[in-house]
Amino acid sequence: MKAPRFLISLLLLALAGGAAFAQEAVEWKHQDFRPEFALFTESEAYTRETWTALPPLEQTRLLGEARQPAGERLAAMTVYYETAMKPWNTQELNGYAAGVKDADIAAVKLWLGQTKAEAFKKKLSVSRAMIKKAAAEGLDAGDRAALQPYLTPEAIADLGSLRAAASLQRQAAVKADPARNEIPKGAVNSTLQGVTGRLGGSVSGNLAKAFDGSTATGDVTPVQAAAGRHDIPAANTAVSGLTGRTGALANKSAGAASPQRIPATPAVKSSVPAPLPGTAAQKKSTAWTSDAYGITVQVAGRPEPLTFRKARDAEAAIRQLPDGSISRITLYGHGSPGMQTVGDDAYDPDSAAAMLKGKMARGGVVQFSGCNTASIGGASVNPAVGISMAARRLLYFSLPYFQDRMDGVPAAQAREQWEKTWNADLSRDTSLQMRGTVVCGYRTFGLVPGRLPGLTRLMGNQEATTPGYVAGKKVCYRDGREVPEP
Amino acid sequence: MTDLGYLLEAILLLAVPFVPIAVGVLLRRKFSPSPAAEGAEAPAPTGAQKAGRLIGAVLIGVGAASILFMLIVLLNFKGYI
Repeated sequence: MKAPRFLISLLLLALAGGAAFAQEAVEWKHQDFRPEFALFTESEAYTRETWTALPPLEQTRLLGEARQPAGERLAAMTVYYETAMKPWNTQELNGYAAGVKDADIAAVKLWLGQTKAEAFKKKLSVSRAMIKKAAAEGLDAGDRAALQPYLTPEAIADLGSLRAAASLQRQAAVKADPARNEIPKGAVNSTLQGVTGRLGGSVSGNLAKAFDGSTATGDVTPVQAAAGRHDIPAANTAVSGLTGRTGALANKSAGAASPQRIPATPAVKSSVPAPLPGTAAQKKSTAWTSDAYGITVQVAGRPEPLTFRKARDAEAAIRQLPDGSISRITLYGHGSPGMQTVGDDAYDPDSAAAMLKGKMARGGVVQFSGCNTASIGGASVNPAVGISMAARRLLYFSLPYFQDRMDGVPAAQAREQWEKTWNADLSRDTSLQMRGTVVCGYRTFGLVPGRLPGLTRLMGNQEATTPGYVAGKKVCYRDGREVPEP
Repeated sequence: MTDLGYLLEAILLLAVPFVPIAVGVLLRRKFSPSPAAEGAEAPAPTGAQKAGRLIGAVLIGVGAASILFMLIVLLNFKGYI
């Protein structure tokens, strides 16, 4: 009987050890969770600091949630990379050379590593350089050898004949007899000049247009001979731009000007697959108005503050911090008398004090960066303060009072309700529950220039987690008494 | 009676930004330069006229800024900003 008991004890110990191990903190970008951390990085969900501040249980949960989407994204990126590293035909060369951006290479680096990103980058740079050289002076044997790992033999041949093709096209344009043409000579010439003339620019995007009529974005558009009925089919132009048969085909195009359209070749998908739907990158706001809010926690001894977009993440991180470690915390969002929102969450004196109970350092500061997060206070000669106070009375007393009256609420009841709340002081009430901590808020509406519609989009800070300059009248309290701003 | 009192208060509060504008317009009219006599050159404005018109312009500016501010606050309250 002793042996089974011993074994069971060992088993229990092993299970307990496993559970304890599972709850250990996971290091940022740990090799075992590479795709998950790549997803966090790409979606800007977490940084090293915000991740480290999370409790181990929360980390484990988040890693579990990220496993499947990260796997899917990794698979898509692998397919993209493997396709891109196969030898390219002319159309693919065209599409990749014009379409791949630095961000695409960065995505390859993030998901598949530095080595693969470097290989992809080298292939692109060699190809782009050779396209330029081919258009300007042609390719020599060394160039062809350098291109062999990257392009199909046909693509190399096409590239090699690019210069000759351009020359032939010019000759074809000159030889074209206007009397026998069914389309005006000017229209044909303009097409041919449009094709050949742009090659001189040696820009990959222009070359793309010369090759198959596609633009730098990868969209295929026909080369216009003239407005309306004299379109030269895009595919014909593409072939004529690439091969030694250019002259004959160009003549044919010029002479016959067949109205029949040959379907354009499909564009090459040169950009990396889009981030998965539902990730922060997808949700990133591009609106003209601001969607900025968040919590910034300055921990004593840490040079960089911790910033959180979600209040839930911030609360989880704060719970893990040692007591008395927060020197400053800024809650940024919309405020109204007696409360402040941070995204979808709202704080009143009780919930703010509960979140920070015991965590504030001696002399630490809680900053409510929201409108009307303190009471109006005494009279002021500042007209901006006066007008802000008038607006506050209108919005938080007059408006709800008359709304209640229209809903049939008795005047006395509505009056009592709104007279009590319109001038509530979130900062003072919070400071009464957090002895020794300085709690600051705004007596007025706080105008943040970075939130102005339009400007916020130009600055790309729609989703800032920390406010910049705030125009408003600030006040600070300690233990319910007004103190100078620290 | 309570409702009427609060209605009056709301009207007055809404009128606050228009007060400096009205005062500014009055000041600029009061201190407008004297009209020139026929064929004669307009007299140079006195120091008081210059100051009065400047204060009037400042008040009009403050009133306009106040209306703009109220609009921004309203849009913020409604969630548009």
